[in-house]
Amino acid sequence: MKNKGGTGFFRSGDDKVFAVFTSQEAHVLINLTEQILELLGEDDHVDDEMREFMSIVGISTNDAPPQDPVLHRLLPDAYSDTNAAGEFRRYTEHGLREKKRAHANTIREALLPQDEEWDGDQPLDLGSIEVEVPMTEIMDWLGGLNDIRLALAVRLGIEKPPADEQHKKYELMTESDPMKAVYAVYSWLGWLQESLIQLL
Amino acid sequence: MGTLTEEKSETDIRPDRPWVTVVWDDPVNLMSYVTHVFMVLFHFSKEKATELMMKVHNEGKAVVTSGTREEMERDVQRLHEYGLWATVQRDDEL
Repeated sequence: MKNKGGTGFFRSGDDKVFAVFTSQEAHVLINLTEQILELLGEDDHVDDEMREFMSIVGISTNDAPPQDPVLHRLLPDAYSDTNAAGEFRRYTEHGLREKKRAHANTIREALLPQDEEWDGDQPLDLGSIEVEVPMTEIMDWLGGLNDIRLALAVRLGIEKPPADEQHKKYELMTESDPMKAVYAVYSWLGWLQESLIQLL
Repeated sequence: MGTLTEEKSETDIRPDRPWVTVVWDDPVNLMSYVTHVFMVLFHFSKEKATELMMKVHNEGKAVVTSGTREEMERDVQRLHEYGLWATVQRDDEL
């Protein structure tokens, strides 16, 4: 995707950080951040009353690692010991979900059209979108892009070493395979994230 | 980080600071990103952050901070916020 018009991140004359995305790139990124938000928002173990309680005190009743491998990578165990990991998760997982949701939201909101009449159902067709990233939001962008890359990597089976063989497989895959497109997005996000880091 | 403000270094693992934060190798996180996260979260110099990142990359894991259990849990939580794969361990479990 990187050759189809997006610039990656760059600094303007007055040292501010910008990126220009094609509408297709913006659409993909908005969609992926929304998937992350949805994934992190779910918590199978709690009802609405408990959710409200958790949002006040930041403690979950849940101490089991997530069943979904993507979610487990985003919310990993803090101890190799199962009991210690569970206890830590009970006190911290809710806060971790909220932080990650905030990172994804920063990206999503920067890319959403400002037009108030846009209702979310219409396709995005705006040519290109220029985004300015304030210095205070750079870590949100880096962390949010990283979470998407981690999620895609789990789906692609390249999240654990050694992953070289898998990478080779995707590089040799024909364009008609849908996983090739997922791999292309994964590679593009790595390039995009690197372009931001190189400015810092 | 707590009340102690001395600069952290790898020689800082003392008997009274028996817990450590271990970062594990991960083929997804970019090397430049891991280095940057170490610099931002722990205020390490670029040189020290790069050295630790290379240790993670080459040896599969590295101790990045040491201190009390509470301090290490806070460090691991912040590393998880940015997608690094980190665990809390006792120094003598390494």
